[in-house]
Amino acid sequence: MSEVIKTEPFVMNIGPQHPSTHGVFRVKVTVDGEKITDAEMIIGYLHRSMEKLAEERTYTQNIPFTDRTDYLSSMSNNLGYCLAVEKLGNLSVPPRGQAIRVIMAELQRLASHCMGAGAFANDTGAWQTPVMWFNRERERILDIFEMTSGARLTCNYMRIGGVAFELRTGFEDAVRQLLPRLRQTIADGQELLAENEIFIVRARDVAVVSPEMAIGASLTGPMLRGSGVAWDIRKADPYSGYEKYDFQIPIGYKGDAYDRFTVRLEEMRQSIKIVEQALDDLPGGPHSTEVPLAFRPPSGEAYARIESPRGELGYYLVSDGGPSPFRFHIRPPSLINLSVFKEMTVGGSIADAIVALGSVDIVVGEIDR
Amino acid sequence: MTGFGVSVAFWVLSVLTLASAGGVMASRNLIHAVLFLIVVFLGVSGFFVLLSADFLAMAQVIIYVGAISVLILFAIVLTPRAERDNSETVMVLPAIFLGISLMAIMLFVLYDANWSVTATEPSLSAAVLGSSLLSVWVLPFELASVLLTAALVGSIMLVRSPSDEEGDLA
Amino acid sequence: MFPLLVTDHWYDLRDLANLYRVILEGLDHILPTGLVYVITALLGFIAFFVIFVLPSQLYVGVYGERRLIGRMQARQGPNRVGPLGLLQPIADALKLLQKEALTPRSADRTIMWIAPILFVAPAILIFAVIPFGPRMVFADIPVSLMYFLAISSLPVIASFMAGWSSNNKYSLFGAMRIVAMSISYEVPLVLGLLSVAVLSGTMSLQGMVIWQQDIPTWMILIQPIAFAVYFIGVSAELNRTPADIAEAESEIVAGYLTEYSGMRWGLFYGMDIAYALGASAFAATVFFGGWSLFGLEQWIPPWLIFILKTYLFYFLFIWTRATLPRLRIDQLMSFSWKFLLPVALFNLLIVAVERLIWTSNDLPDAIVWAFGGVNIILMVGIVFVWSKVFKYDPKNRPTKPRLVNESGGYRPVDLGEGGSAS
Repeated sequence: MSEVIKTEPFVMNIGPQHPSTHGVFRVKVTVDGEKITDAEMIIGYLHRSMEKLAEERTYTQNIPFTDRTDYLSSMSNNLGYCLAVEKLGNLSVPPRGQAIRVIMAELQRLASHCMGAGAFANDTGAWQTPVMWFNRERERILDIFEMTSGARLTCNYMRIGGVAFELRTGFEDAVRQLLPRLRQTIADGQELLAENEIFIVRARDVAVVSPEMAIGASLTGPMLRGSGVAWDIRKADPYSGYEKYDFQIPIGYKGDAYDRFTVRLEEMRQSIKIVEQALDDLPGGPHSTEVPLAFRPPSGEAYARIESPRGELGYYLVSDGGPSPFRFHIRPPSLINLSVFKEMTVGGSIADAIVALGSVDIVVGEIDR
Repeated sequence: MTGFGVSVAFWVLSVLTLASAGGVMASRNLIHAVLFLIVVFLGVSGFFVLLSADFLAMAQVIIYVGAISVLILFAIVLTPRAERDNSETVMVLPAIFLGISLMAIMLFVLYDANWSVTATEPSLSAAVLGSSLLSVWVLPFELASVLLTAALVGSIMLVRSPSDEEGDLA
Repeated sequence: MFPLLVTDHWYDLRDLANLYRVILEGLDHILPTGLVYVITALLGFIAFFVIFVLPSQLYVGVYGERRLIGRMQARQGPNRVGPLGLLQPIADALKLLQKEALTPRSADRTIMWIAPILFVAPAILIFAVIPFGPRMVFADIPVSLMYFLAISSLPVIASFMAGWSSNNKYSLFGAMRIVAMSISYEVPLVLGLLSVAVLSGTMSLQGMVIWQQDIPTWMILIQPIAFAVYFIGVSAELNRTPADIAEAESEIVAGYLTEYSGMRWGLFYGMDIAYALGASAFAATVFFGGWSLFGLEQWIPPWLIFILKTYLFYFLFIWTRATLPRLRIDQLMSFSWKFLLPVALFNLLIVAVERLIWTSNDLPDAIVWAFGGVNIILMVGIVFVWSKVFKYDPKNRPTKPRLVNESGGYRPVDLGEGGSAS
């Protein structure tokens, strides 16, 4: 009987302009009735050829470039790049610099997850209310960034060998005032969304990524942890003094969109713990080592990776002894996380594809560079 | 019902209904024909109001405009090439003959009928209708509901694909 | 000093029907016969639509909704245009009026022109039967409940016409989805309202208000299940969150209103709100007691009581819109057919039994309070039984992830029995 009723597949475009805040990115979806049979991604709308431009600038001049790849987590990007250069040049960072880096990275994780969780709730249709609540806290974090580095979004704060400026005097008070409010907002988000029947029905069993698929496609970040694989670079390959702090890694149960959302919320709670510990034992001393302006590392190559809010952000630098890098490559977590988009969405409906895209939490600046 | 307003309403409704019925026949686009049909249904509902059958008038709108027209519209949209030009057909002459003969039969019956006016207006309120449906006319009522259930079950069976055969509870 | 009972003077504003009657009687002497009908209709239109619905639509529907949603989202709503932003809806209306209403060349012009008109008509027609006071109802027909249901099937046709006339495959599929959802939510809606009609013994709205006034009670306290079914059903009919796939569809696929711009779209948007106000007025009449307030309607003007109740119900719409995410279309349809319909049928059965017990034994009117208690217990019972049927167990559905201390490798899930965490 079912062969008599024919439906014909047709191709639809999602993007390049989204009403949701994912950036310029296009997916060509082939739909057969309600079900998606194929999804093809077309990227490159935001390509700015950063990797090529970086070869003509000195190592310090490349730090603002890294701000602009993943524009929602600029501190983390800076950190990864500086780690790679320090690895190249065999530099060490003073303990105060390391602690300040950790605080900034974790605050940036909080800000990015506020945006990611809010945008995801928006994709399920919760009409901007969670976006507004989370963004209210994110604004406070961005105010703290402005206080320290002078810019809210593209902070350009880390330098090779430490951080750029010393912390301002009101910094610790501002952060300590912020953290309880953030805890309350996360609890509000948990109650409004994670325990909301409609949200659960909308996000459970949607865009499931099995652990084998996740490991095989080299996914990282909340996508990997949502599938139940306990892998966090802060624990597995610690950098910048993370081994001193006591925190836990959240992992999910099934690898669906709901798991990734709850993993992000829990990561925010753990980040608050880390920030509090780091603030409590903030060591004294210099905030960075002295590095010449045109830094010439010995020739060689280095790969440094950090746990950015989206996953494993890696920087691969090849030096030929000159002041500019010979080759500068970024391993973007969003691009690699997005490579399983087709497997996630085939067989579901279009509304599920939007939810899946929201749960990956991509930033197109990082995909296209 | 008598009164000036009733007469005006009768004539307006008649013109509207008959013109729309003509539009159903004469429109080349099938969707336009269905929209004219919706106007015909609304006109018939107006006639029911004029005859003091308020329950029937509302039921007419709910069932015909709300459900049956939607059904016809879905059928047209889901059938490929159903909206092609409707006016070219070889059946024009037989249709005209059939129409004229039907009209002749109807006029004959109308002319010969004994149009008496009852002394009292029959009461057609919903309470009377409901109680008579469940006491005097209960057997046709139950048969109609069995028929509707069979149609419902049949339509679900038609569109079920084999992969849906496993239980899909919630 | 202040007469408590409503009088027949034209200046007694507690019953605005006096004014109406005086005007009509005066005009009846002057004008020829047929014209009085036209004046009646015009007066009714002005009284109900222009004086009540239009300002409510602008100031409660547009301004109030945006401000309230803004406050719920920890921000202020519109506050720039005029003092406190009060001129915002006027600015919106003016903007829409001066926009060019584009029509695509291959679209069906006549139907595109008719669809907004067919959408406006039901929103106005609803208010013809809603009683604002003991004598303030434009048309007191004995089947006003069915009139409401009949009128609510017209916007479905209008939405379909809007989607089809755009000559755009995506908007047609969007419109068909909307139509399918609307007609599948009509069935539990009719059944829910039918149980209300059975208990009160009348289908006329004025009759229901008088029934609620005689036994002083509010129908929502006696039939909470019917109210829940009505609220969900009418949210779906009105395309409001959590059932607003009409607007969500335009995230990726063109919604059925894409080709509409300017005031044509403004009509759809405004009449959406007016229709929501009509549904709120209907709910205020049937479930919240209408213009009666346990006897206080002799001091407070009954139309004021009624208007406040309408706005209270409309606030419920705004509240759910600001809070809840939206459901997918297949989840909506399965919810309607597999949950709402059986619940509404079950409620109808219980109410019919209660009515039989009440009338055949000639019990006093206060027995409805006992029925109300039984119904509330039944509602709680239905939720429990249904959750058992669908094996909904909050303990087996973790809402927080697991926490581990060490990194490295896949940690399989062991949640005891059940295995899957759904």
